[in-house]
Amino acid sequence: MKRLLAVTLGILTAIGGFVDIGDLVANALVGSRYGFALAWVVPVGVVGICLYAEMCGRVAAISGRPVFDLIRERLGPRLGLANLAASFLVTALTLTAEIGGVALALELATSVNYLLWVPLVGFLVWLVIWRVGFARMEQVFGLAGLLLIVFAVALWKLGPDWGQVLHDASHPALPPGEGLPTYLYYAIALFGAAMTPYEVFFFSSGGVEEHWTRRDVGVARSNVFIGFPLGGVLSLAIMGCTALVFFPLGVGVDTLGQVAMPPAVALGKVGLAIVLVGIFAATFGAALETGLSAGYTVAQYFGWQWGKFVRPLQAARFHGVTLLTIVVGVMVMLTTVDPIKVTEYSIVFSAVALPLTYLPILIVANDPEYMGERVNGRISNTLGTVYLVLVLAASLAAIPLMIATKAGQ
Amino acid sequence: MSGVEPRPAEGRVYDAYLHLLDRQVVDPDGELICKVDDLELELAEDGAAYVRAILTGPAALGPRIGGAAGALMTAVHARLSGGAGPGRIPFHLVADIGSAVTVSARPADLPIRGFEDWVRTTIIDAIPGASDAPE
Repeated sequence: MKRLLAVTLGILTAIGGFVDIGDLVANALVGSRYGFALAWVVPVGVVGICLYAEMCGRVAAISGRPVFDLIRERLGPRLGLANLAASFLVTALTLTAEIGGVALALELATSVNYLLWVPLVGFLVWLVIWRVGFARMEQVFGLAGLLLIVFAVALWKLGPDWGQVLHDASHPALPPGEGLPTYLYYAIALFGAAMTPYEVFFFSSGGVEEHWTRRDVGVARSNVFIGFPLGGVLSLAIMGCTALVFFPLGVGVDTLGQVAMPPAVALGKVGLAIVLVGIFAATFGAALETGLSAGYTVAQYFGWQWGKFVRPLQAARFHGVTLLTIVVGVMVMLTTVDPIKVTEYSIVFSAVALPLTYLPILIVANDPEYMGERVNGRISNTLGTVYLVLVLAASLAAIPLMIATKAGQ
Repeated sequence: MSGVEPRPAEGRVYDAYLHLLDRQVVDPDGELICKVDDLELELAEDGAAYVRAILTGPAALGPRIGGAAGALMTAVHARLSGGAGPGRIPFHLVADIGSAVTVSARPADLPIRGFEDWVRTTIIDAIPGASDAPE
C-alpha cells in the first residue's frame, strides 16, 4: 500500500513537473498560430524524452552515477568541456526564462510590474534550494503544477468538435499566409521544449539524490512512462485551448496573459485563479530544477561534491555555482529583456544542444561495465537511434531556420 | 600512457584510459572527492609503466584539454595558486576501481581542496544554515 502510494505520488509529481515556461509558451504560441497543425510534434517529443529519461533513470539506479558524470568519462575531457559549456549555457538561459515566467505570473495576479518581482523570485528560488529537502521540494511544486489540468477542463468546456480536431491534428496543413520554414522552425521549438536537456540531467541527478538502487528501476519507469505522457497531454491541452480561442481570430500569443486567457474564458474567475497558481507552481518548480541542474552539470564534470543530500558546507562549490547562476539570471532579467523572447531562444538553443546530451546517454546505457545485464534492449536501441537522427536533424536545422525566418516572425 | 602495468599474474587487468582517466574519485563513505584528471607514471627498468599517483585539479586537467581553453585553465590556476602543481593522491591509497575509484583517505586529509575550502570559508559558511543537516 505504502509502495503504491509512493508510485502514485511519483507519477503525479512527474505530470505536474513536466510543463515549464518553455512548454507553456511554445504550445500556446503554436496553438494560436497553427491551430492543431503542429500537434503531432508533442507526442514525438514525449516519446523521445520518455525513451532517454528511462535510460538516465536506469543508469543512475544501476551505476549510482548521474549522466553528466559519465559524459566526461566517455567523451574525454576536451569534448566533455565543450558539452559542459553548451549544456550549462542552455540550462542557465532556461533558468533565466523560468524566473521571468514566475515574475510574470505574479504580475498577472497582482498587477505589480514583473521587474519588481524578479529579485524576490530569484531570492525565493535560491532559498528553497538552500533549505528545503529534495523530495519535499519535488512533491510540493509537482503537485501544485497539477493545477494546470485546468487547461484540459477548459478545453472540454470550450466544447470543440472533436472529430474536426482529430482531423486537423492528423492531417497537418499550413494555415494560409504561413510559410514552410516558419512551420518547421516552430516544430523544432516545440520539440526542443519537450526534450529540454536539463530534464535528463535533473532526472538522473535526482535519482542519485534519492539514493535509487537496482530496486527503484520500476519506480523510475512508472514515473517516466505514465507521468511524462500525461504531462504531454497537459501540453496538448494548452495548445488546444489557444487553438480554439486565438487561432480563429488570427491573434498570435505573445504574452503570458494570453496563455492564461482560455481558462478564464471557459471557467471564469475561478479558472483564471487556478491557472495563475498552476503557472506559478510549474515555472517555480522548473526554476528550482534548472538552478540545481546548473550546479549539477559543473560539479559532475569537475568531480566536486554536489547534491542536497549533504550539508551545504560539504558541497560549497556546488552551492556556489547554483547561487551565482541564479544571481546572473536575475540580472539578465532585470535588463528588461522580454521574458517570452528569452523563453523562445532558450528552447531553440535547447534543440541545438540536444545531440550533445543524448548521444552520450545512448552510449553509456549500452555499456555493460556500468550497467551489467541491464544494458539497453533492442527496442530502446532502435528507437534511441531513430531519435538520435531526429535530434541531430533538428539541431542542425535550428540555427539556419532561426536566421531565415527571423526567429519565426 | 598505455597499459597500467604488464599483465599481472592474477587479478583484473585495467586499462588506464578506459578505467581510470576521467573517473570520479570517492572516499569509502561515498563522499565525492575529485576526478582522475591525469595520472603520474613511472617507467621501470624493464620499460613497463607503473601508475604512481592520481593527479587532479586544473593544473592536471588543463594540459589534457589543450588548446586555448586548456592554456587558459592552466594559466588561471597557476596565477591564483601561486604556481602550485596538480593535486596528488598516491596510488597506494586506491582501494577499489568500479564505476568510481575509491580511495581509503578522508577528503580533508588530501592536499587537493584549495578551491573548495576557499569557496566554503569565504561564501558558503557566511550564509545562515550552511551547516544544517539536509531534510
